[in-house]
Amino acid sequence: MPSLSRAALAALLLAAAAAPFAVDAESAPPPPASRTLDDYRHFRISAIDLLGRMPTREEIAAFERSDFDMDRWIDAQLGGPGYVERLTRIYMDALRLEPNVDFRTAPAELYRHDVLGPDGKPVTIYYRENQRRERPETDGEFCLSPDETGVVIRARQQDQGTPRKVTQKALDQATVLVKPWWLYRDFRTRNPVQRYGEGWKDPDPQYKPVESLLDDAEGKPVTEVRICREEAGTRDTGHVYASGRVKPLPKDAKLPGGRLRPPPLDRPYATQHQGQELACDTKMALDYAPDCGCGVGLERCVPGDSNQGGNAFYYPNHMPLGPGMPLDDARQQVQRWFPYWWSREAVHFLDDLFASDRDFREILTGKRTFVNGPLAQFYRTIQRSNCCGPEASFGMLEEKEPLFDPHAVPADLEPHDVSTWKVVENRGPHAAGILTMPMFLEKYASARARGAALYNDFLCKSFVAESQQLAPSSEPNLMVRPGCKTCHATLEPLAAYFARVEPASFVFLPQGDFPAHSTTCKLDRNGHLSGACTALYDPAFADASGATLRSAYGSPAHADETPAGAAQDITRMPEFASCAVQRVTSSFLGRATTPDDARLLEALTDTFVRSGFHMKALVRAIVRSDEYRRSNNLSSSPRLGTSP
Amino acid sequence: MKALSVAALCLLLACAGPAEHVYPGPRTPLPEHGATAEDTAHKEDLRMVPPEVYMRTYLHLFGGLAPLDVQKRARAGDGAALFDTWDDYVSALGFPDYRLDVPRQTQTNALMTATFERLGVALCDRALEHDLKAPKGAQPPPLGERLVFAFDLPRTTVDVAGFAPRFDVLHRTFLGYPASLAPPERTARYFQLYRDIVAGHAQADPKSRFSPEEAGWAAVCYGLVRHPEFHLY
Repeated sequence: MPSLSRAALAALLLAAAAAPFAVDAESAPPPPASRTLDDYRHFRISAIDLLGRMPTREEIAAFERSDFDMDRWIDAQLGGPGYVERLTRIYMDALRLEPNVDFRTAPAELYRHDVLGPDGKPVTIYYRENQRRERPETDGEFCLSPDETGVVIRARQQDQGTPRKVTQKALDQATVLVKPWWLYRDFRTRNPVQRYGEGWKDPDPQYKPVESLLDDAEGKPVTEVRICREEAGTRDTGHVYASGRVKPLPKDAKLPGGRLRPPPLDRPYATQHQGQELACDTKMALDYAPDCGCGVGLERCVPGDSNQGGNAFYYPNHMPLGPGMPLDDARQQVQRWFPYWWSREAVHFLDDLFASDRDFREILTGKRTFVNGPLAQFYRTIQRSNCCGPEASFGMLEEKEPLFDPHAVPADLEPHDVSTWKVVENRGPHAAGILTMPMFLEKYASARARGAALYNDFLCKSFVAESQQLAPSSEPNLMVRPGCKTCHATLEPLAAYFARVEPASFVFLPQGDFPAHSTTCKLDRNGHLSGACTALYDPAFADASGATLRSAYGSPAHADETPAGAAQDITRMPEFASCAVQRVTSSFLGRATTPDDARLLEALTDTFVRSGFHMKALVRAIVRSDEYRRSNNLSSSPRLGTSP
Repeated sequence: MKALSVAALCLLLACAGPAEHVYPGPRTPLPEHGATAEDTAHKEDLRMVPPEVYMRTYLHLFGGLAPLDVQKRARAGDGAALFDTWDDYVSALGFPDYRLDVPRQTQTNALMTATFERLGVALCDRALEHDLKAPKGAQPPPLGERLVFAFDLPRTTVDVAGFAPRFDVLHRTFLGYPASLAPPERTARYFQLYRDIVAGHAQADPKSRFSPEEAGWAAVCYGLVRHPEFHLY
């Protein structure tokens, strides 16, 4: 059959439309003459941008009605889930807030290993790496000695030796049975009975421990876990322990219990502070206090299913439409557990910012955030166990001014409440929007990386090196060193804002204990800083009278302002508003903005600032603009006449 | 010392030599073969529908399913291997992977388009089975509950007058506007496609699991999920 002529086809279409034809019970009346192809396309791109999907037939039918008000429709979508996801996506794409590093915090991580039980069957025992114990045979090692098990057991290492049966007495002395939080909803009670999948029949659907934590090697449900006695300690406060070992053993001395390395010697701190109280959720507790364990139901620790760390929970690798719509469900290693929730915290924070149409400056200045069960566990205890090491030499045994005040964590969240998110209105005085979240601080691990992210993502500026050859130089000040100064004159003062947040960490160094310029830390006669000072103060910016805090040399004043000061300073800059406008406009236009867009951007920035930095006002102005209407790349141009 | 001086002298001589021409030019100018006018029209990259939008649209079009259910439905058990798993396609679909610092694909590419087409084709088949192909002894769902093919299917092959309003339903579903506003040839071209497929399937041996008419409508659906206007916005 030859193809139909245009006129014949039009006649046929007209006839078909006029015929009483049951196409769809919901189909709308014919479109009014005022709806052009460009109107339809504007509606379609608006739906894609604001609803997050193409419009349905029903929505198109509503659009075709004469009483349809496009402006009212746009306003109705602003604040909806599609709009919120759209804006969050812009900033998640810019910041990429998901770490590609593992988070391993020794005091919190439980390894597990099998030994041969008295009956010759394997017995699985959980333990912590480097746990202090009073028995010299096992101090700093696995709680059963190589003489008792036949093997040297160390985390993430191959066993050495041949397993032998452990006596019941040794097993009972060194280990205990516990009903842990990952198995029991009511782990805080004296006798927990609500086991995952049994008494606890409606666990959070997103809380899924791996099978190897739930069942033993024979597939039988695990009802209790065996754990080294010290790790099972439930105290909140422990005591500094000194073993009395201060001198190294002679080289040929027999090591106790068949251990391969000598038991640890007492550090000066232990000798000087023996018996002194110590908070059990600190790094110091692992180093000095054998009476500090993982707490009630092991709530201060997270389990892995092997001696390598291993798997712990299921959660998706990919969920572009949110956790309720995952693309997969994968077994994940324990080191990924908290970074996964840090990332979700950032998403929740951004979602709330846009859904509630809060002042956009809160992305940097906001004190509030959202936490769920794992994050509550993290901020309540595990965050604290990141501190303190070198800081102890400065008198800080536990974090004094944490970025997230543990007291602000809602008390009623348990580690397995993964879908329950609660608002925390004020994380603490040093909180600064996204800048002090673990996700940002781990993703951008150094002060310079953090400063550069601030510069790129919130001022839309890049560091471009000048075309200059780098001559060898010993000048430590990169703000003046030839070839470096072009970028570093700007970068170093930005980095200084983050000098009080330790690199690759979130430990905050208070000004009182760690002045930007210390007169206590100074070069000795040989031109060296002491070991403790070197960890936190920069030998390159030290002299006989004092030393500068690492990363602070670009601006000691900025170091004292902290990230919260950076947030205030950056949001006051005119580039902050124009950068946000440029970023969002570019995303909605589907292309990079050009100098031709200057007038549009200027008008939009004016609208945005006048609105009090509210994103809805900006997006409303973008979506109603002629430029946006023209932005679709399939306008009703004649060239479409040749397309199918 | 003497050796050092000789080496330095050699280096100096090497530097003083004539510049080396890595790409020598032609000895005579190249002859002119023709002239074309420079295209000074403004060029813009085509804007791709974000993969999240694709995904949500598909989920909505095919019955409000979760991605893992769509995967199950798209894979089905027909042995056609039209779709594997989402994980196989994540980067091909243009999604970012912040964990690996893989950025979002902001522009269309053939691989991405082909991947979404593949899913679209699989889902067209499944939608047709849901909407038009009732199991033996049962009726297809009422029009209001049909996902994509929200029209009745006559027992015989439709003519263009019967085709046009049904095509309009699919056109609105996938491209967002009435077929009457599309270039005038569009309906005729799709009708031609429908007729060819119907004719081809009538002669096919072995027989397809779809009737010729069903195969014709499935092909129209394939054509629309492959249409540039569906992919771009």
